[in-house]
Amino acid sequence: MKDVVYLDYAATTPVDPRVAELLRTLNDPDGNFANPSAVHIAGRRAAAIVESATAEIARMLNCDPRGLVYTSGATESDNLAIAGAARFRAHRGRHLITMPTEHKAVVDTFKALEREGFDVTWLTPESNGLLDITRLEDAIRDDTQLVSIMHVNNETGMIQDIARIGAICRDRDALFHVDAAQSAGKLPIDLANLPVDLLSLTAHKMYGPKGIGALYIADRPGCHVEPLLFGGGQQRRIRPGTLPVPLIAAFGLAASLARAQMAEDERHVAALGDRLWRGIRGVDGVTLNGDEQHRWPGILNVSIHDVEGESLMLALEPVCVATGSACNSQNQEPSYVLRALGRDDLLAQSAIRFSFGRMTTVEDIATAVEAYRAGVKRLRRLAPERAA
Amino acid sequence: MSADPYSDEVRELFNEPRHAGRLDDGISVREDAQGVRVELSAIAGGGLLTALGFRVWGCPHLIAAAEAVCARFEGREARELEGFRTAQIMEILAIPVEKTGRILVLEDAVRSLGQAVRGRSDEA
Repeated sequence: MKDVVYLDYAATTPVDPRVAELLRTLNDPDGNFANPSAVHIAGRRAAAIVESATAEIARMLNCDPRGLVYTSGATESDNLAIAGAARFRAHRGRHLITMPTEHKAVVDTFKALEREGFDVTWLTPESNGLLDITRLEDAIRDDTQLVSIMHVNNETGMIQDIARIGAICRDRDALFHVDAAQSAGKLPIDLANLPVDLLSLTAHKMYGPKGIGALYIADRPGCHVEPLLFGGGQQRRIRPGTLPVPLIAAFGLAASLARAQMAEDERHVAALGDRLWRGIRGVDGVTLNGDEQHRWPGILNVSIHDVEGESLMLALEPVCVATGSACNSQNQEPSYVLRALGRDDLLAQSAIRFSFGRMTTVEDIATAVEAYRAGVKRLRRLAPERAA
Repeated sequence: MSADPYSDEVRELFNEPRHAGRLDDGISVREDAQGVRVELSAIAGGGLLTALGFRVWGCPHLIAAAEAVCARFEGREARELEGFRTAQIMEILAIPVEKTGRILVLEDAVRSLGQAVRGRSDEA
């Protein structure tokens, strides 16, 4: 996509060329396309590819590879983790905890569980989007079975303190699920030393292909999920279905590259984020959604007073950004995440999310800054003053 | 899947509005509703609209529609403003039905402008 400036990495990243090449090779008719459950030689070769890729993903997360279950992506992982764990532990209690600023895949799964009779506590965030830990301590009960809090917020980039949250959950014998779709492969995640029981991740937000994700399930007593799908014995019956070997291999390579390049990627993204924020923070009326201290620098979400968001997004073209989460981009409603942070409708509606990463250049950021400043200026000139 | 929400016409009118701005020596009306702001101004003489201008705070469809309205009525008889209906412009610009409320604010503004121009002519 040479004719656009792509700054929507939080929706999906480009596939790393090395990963793309591996995918192409494996999808070739002469490649290894066999079913890894088959016992013949081609099947065994496919199984070896899966095993090797799984080891790479486990290395990235510092976890036992036997704890990883492949899914179609983070949405399925979130569903499996939350609905699966809630139902598995329903005989112990039916109280669950999450936040309204989670991804829709989490929010809507909890809403579905509410309709099944589960009691869900929705913890409202502070104005920067972070969870006040004391609220969790107050909300957690003897019958709380699951707490689900995301690592990096997909709209604002705010990073939750999953170590502290997990410690509270451990102390109260509640499972802790983390949606790590935005952080896996970008921030260090050490599952051997983090009190996390369930963790969702997806390949397509870390330079891998779409259609493959994973759920980590800790090997602890009481930590298990009921399956959502039935029909085969694959993956210990937790998630049956023929494993997509090329996608898993590509996911493994993406994880390996992410681990090897994490520090470099982080420096690159931090430098770009700093350049972008310095470029637009001086525009009159700009407000950062989130804060500067606890934010992953690859996502910058800004609102602006007295500029209409949809028009601003079109004025920015060919810079590709989001006005809310990608899933909501067809929806004209203001972002529910920003509303939960206390932004009024107009300010939430003016929000632009810039997200960028490994392939983003300094020139891309310069183009975005210039387009943002020019777009704001033009739309303000076009608008009548607010009524007194 | 996301189809392009903007037709070529909307993109063109949004990107290059020739009638953007307020005609300070003209007659102006303003409508604030549905979360949008529309201001139209006109200079009229001898029953004809010699110049039209607009200012809008709203979505690209509304900005494009305001530009289209100004282009359409410039040089026409002022009394035509009062009979303006949005349906045709929505069809020409392929404006999605969920934007109807906002476009109706423009319709109200056009009619108000027609009344204001007529009022001014009656005074004269």
